Amino acid sequence: MAPALKFDSDHNTIEFNGSLVSLHCHHYNCGLLKTIEEVPLVDGHAVIIESAAEEFFVNFKQYLSRELEGVSADRALHEASELYRFMGFGRIDLSGLTAQGGMAYADSSYYVTAWLAKYGRRVTPVCYFTCGFIAGILGAIFDVPPHTYEVTETQCIIMGHDENCEFIVSKKRNAD
Amino acid sequence: MPIDSKRIIELTSSLPITSNEKGIIATFGVYVTINYNEFFFKLVSRVINMLDNSMGHALEQRLYDAVLECAYHTFHGARSSMDWRDLILPMIQTPEDEIHALVALTNIFGIGYVEVEELIPGEKLVTRVRNAYDPGRYLEEYGPQPRGRCYMLNACTASYMDLVYAAQYPNGMGTFTSTEVLCRSMGHPACKFVAEPKQSR
Repeated sequence: MAPALKFDSDHNTIEFNGSLVSLHCHHYNCGLLKTIEEVPLVDGHAVIIESAAEEFFVNFKQYLSRELEGVSADRALHEASELYRFMGFGRIDLSGLTAQGGMAYADSSYYVTAWLAKYGRRVTPVCYFTCGFIAGILGAIFDVPPHTYEVTETQCIIMGHDENCEFIVSKKRNAD
Repeated sequence: MPIDSKRIIELTSSLPITSNEKGIIATFGVYVTINYNEFFFKLVSRVINMLDNSMGHALEQRLYDAVLECAYHTFHGARSSMDWRDLILPMIQTPEDEIHALVALTNIFGIGYVEVEELIPGEKLVTRVRNAYDPGRYLEEYGPQPRGRCYMLNACTASYMDLVYAAQYPNGMGTFTSTEVLCRSMGHPACKFVAEPKQSR
C-alpha cells in the first residue's frame, strides 16, 4: 500500500483513498472517548466499536477492490496493519487472524499513548476503536458484514500489561 | 492586511504528517490521528439520538470543552513550532494578524473551510464555515436539526480568541465562549460562529 493524503485547496478538505478524513489530537480523541463512555444508560463502547467497524469495513473493502484485488488474506491483513500504522493508531500484528477469528497483538497503541499523556493510567482497557478496526477489516477481507465478529481487548498496556494489548476475535453466535 | 491566508494554507498543508515506526504521529506537541470524518459523525450522532434533548445538549457541551482543549493546546503548539517561526511569524505584526493566521492554519486539518467574517480586537470574532462535514450528514440522515451541530468549529472559534487576547498560555482557556448562530444542518447556507468574552454573555 502506498497511502497518501490528498489536500484539496479549493475546499480545504483531505481525501484518503477516496474518503474524507481529518486530523485530530489526543486532547480531542481522548476527550471524545471519555465523554462517550461516561454517558449514562448508553453503551458508548459498543457505539465506538460499531462505528469504527463500519468505516473500516467500507473503506478497506473499497481499497482491496481497487488496489489489491485477489491478494491473499495474509497479504490483506498485512496491508491493514500498515493502514493502521499510517493513520497513527499504533502498531498491530494481525497475522494470527483467520476468517474464524483468532488473536491480534498491538505493541504500540495510540489510545494508550494518548490517554497516558492526557489522563494517566486507568484500570479498564482503552482500545475500543481498535476492536472496531479489527472487526471492520476482517469483514472486508472475508466478505462478510462488519458486525460478524466480536472483538474484545483482553489485555491492555494501559492497565499495566507490559508488552502488548491483546485482542481476542471470534464470530458472533448468530453470524453464520 | 499582511496575512496571506491562502499562502499559509499552502505552506502548512505541505508539511509532512507521518507516523513513526510505532505508528504514532507526534506533531505540534500533540499526538495526532488521521480518521474518517464519517466515523466521528456516526459515533456522535448515534449517541445523541439515544438521548433526550437536554442530555444531548449536555453531551455536545462536553464535546465543545474537549475540542476547546484540543484547539487551545494544538494551536499553541503550532505557533510555538519552528515551522511557524520560519513560515508564518514573519507575516504577523499584530494580534489580529495572529487570529487570521490561526484560522488559516485550521484549514489544513480537514474539518472545513474556515474564514474570518468579522474581528473586533479583544471583543468579538465571527467565523464562517461553508463545508463542515457533519451538518450535511445530519441533514441527509436525520433531516433539519433543532440547533447547530458544529461543536468542533464552535470551540475552535473561541480558542483563537483565548490564545490571542486572554491570559498568557496556559491560563487563558475558556475566557471566551462561542455560539453557533447559523448551521447548515438547520438549513442555513453556511455555519457561523460568534466568540465573545464569557462574562459578557
